[in-house]
Amino acid sequence: MIRLQGIRKAFGKNEVLKGIDLTVDKGEVVAILGPSGSGKTTLLRCINYLEKPSDGEISIDEFAVNCRKPAKKDIHALRRKTAMVFQQYNLFRHKTALENVMEGLVVVKKLPKAEARQKSVELLEKVGLGDKLDAYPSQLSGGQQQRVGIARALALNPEVILFDEPTSALDPELVGEVLAVIRKIAKEGITMIIVTHEMSFAQEVANHIVFMEGGAVVEEGPPKTIFQSPKEERTRQFLARFTSDSAYSI
Amino acid sequence: MGAKFDIRYVFEYFVKLLPYIQISLFIVASSIVLGLVFGLLAAIPRLYRVPVLQRLSQVYASFFRGTPILIQLFLFYYGLPEVLKLIHIDVTRFPVLVFVILVYGLHSGAYVSEGIRAAVTAVDRGQVEAAYAVGMSGFKAFTRIVFPQALAIAVPILANLVIATLKDTSLAFTLGVMELTGKAQTLPTMSRHFIESYIALAAIYFIVSVVLERLFLLVERRMLKHERETGNADRVPLGKKWLKKRTNAGLALSKGGTRA
Repeated sequence: MIRLQGIRKAFGKNEVLKGIDLTVDKGEVVAILGPSGSGKTTLLRCINYLEKPSDGEISIDEFAVNCRKPAKKDIHALRRKTAMVFQQYNLFRHKTALENVMEGLVVVKKLPKAEARQKSVELLEKVGLGDKLDAYPSQLSGGQQQRVGIARALALNPEVILFDEPTSALDPELVGEVLAVIRKIAKEGITMIIVTHEMSFAQEVANHIVFMEGGAVVEEGPPKTIFQSPKEERTRQFLARFTSDSAYSI
Repeated sequence: MGAKFDIRYVFEYFVKLLPYIQISLFIVASSIVLGLVFGLLAAIPRLYRVPVLQRLSQVYASFFRGTPILIQLFLFYYGLPEVLKLIHIDVTRFPVLVFVILVYGLHSGAYVSEGIRAAVTAVDRGQVEAAYAVGMSGFKAFTRIVFPQALAIAVPILANLVIATLKDTSLAFTLGVMELTGKAQTLPTMSRHFIESYIALAAIYFIVSVVLERLFLLVERRMLKHERETGNADRVPLGKKWLKKRTNAGLALSKGGTRA
């Protein structure tokens, strides 16, 4: 179980997170929605300390980090318990697809090379890239790179995978293949927190929806409630644009 | 004035100068190795913004980049022994070559530190974030992810430096080192065919520079192989062969370090 309590973050005087509380149960898929600048990506990046929260507590099962005075080893432990899939994929550019997945296993988890290799091959096959093992990121399409990114995250066997707008940088025609992979692993009971703009995907895959705006959680609940009968006016407004999407389509 | 121009001397001196390439290359190689060490040591405080050391490294880089190497040679060769005498260290018996290599090493170190700094900064920030997210420590992220990529970016910078150093070694003769230029000055003292000697000398420098340039180009291609889009990754084995051909033909696109 992942628990965020009173997470605050300020860039100078600009407070982007105003005390966020969030609980994610094991195996749950949480989608964080909200307009740009609502702080959803910052919140996600606080969970593995790529962004340093100024206050609050992050806990994963029994392990807790006090964000006021985090020890270096706590931050490290937090990163080992989590994995992230980035908007810009951020694959290691000088390594092949296989090496990208193996890297964490060999360097961080200290697995023997042969074992790491076998596990990585399996994962790349799972995301449908069994034939691209030796390709460098520059030789892969965005969708393929992102699937390698997902395999790299899965390899670490984390308590939670953090998805930071995993399809925002993709050509529309490549979005499907990435979402299909995420959908597949969601069914396997891996805990996931997804920041996304893909509303229908969030509605379909997530068990829990969090709607954020202005650095605070406006409303949260099961997808059905949020999408069909949101309590807050602001949520309704935001989702209205999405639900009436078809009306705008050319 | 020298004797009447006689092209035969060019060939004669060319052959006679060839063995001295060794000394020049020895100076280049050892000072570049030394320069890499100094450069890395100087770059780290600036990359990590270590308070006092950062300043020192800046002073170091701007001194060696801001003064002519000839003056640096004189300062170190004539000045350093005097300074060290004050603390009772006698270096006056050290071979000249030690001073020469030290100065060239410090000189190239200044450029190396700038090069490393630029190359490391050119590596995408996302690479470090990904390394952290995977669970790596700062040290691991640097040595396994950032540094190898920065090195590939820095190869062209390093190539320039090596070639520049090779040409700079021609100044070592002012301290009496018998390298290429020194020899080329003394060879014609009897025959007075100076111009022929200089032509042979220029040819040798040129040839060595071109060979080095080519070698570095190969290294660069190799190190940046990951930045080459073959378009179709299925055909990597075939594509590699094809690319090799292109490389040999000197047609391959020079990707440089622009695609961090």
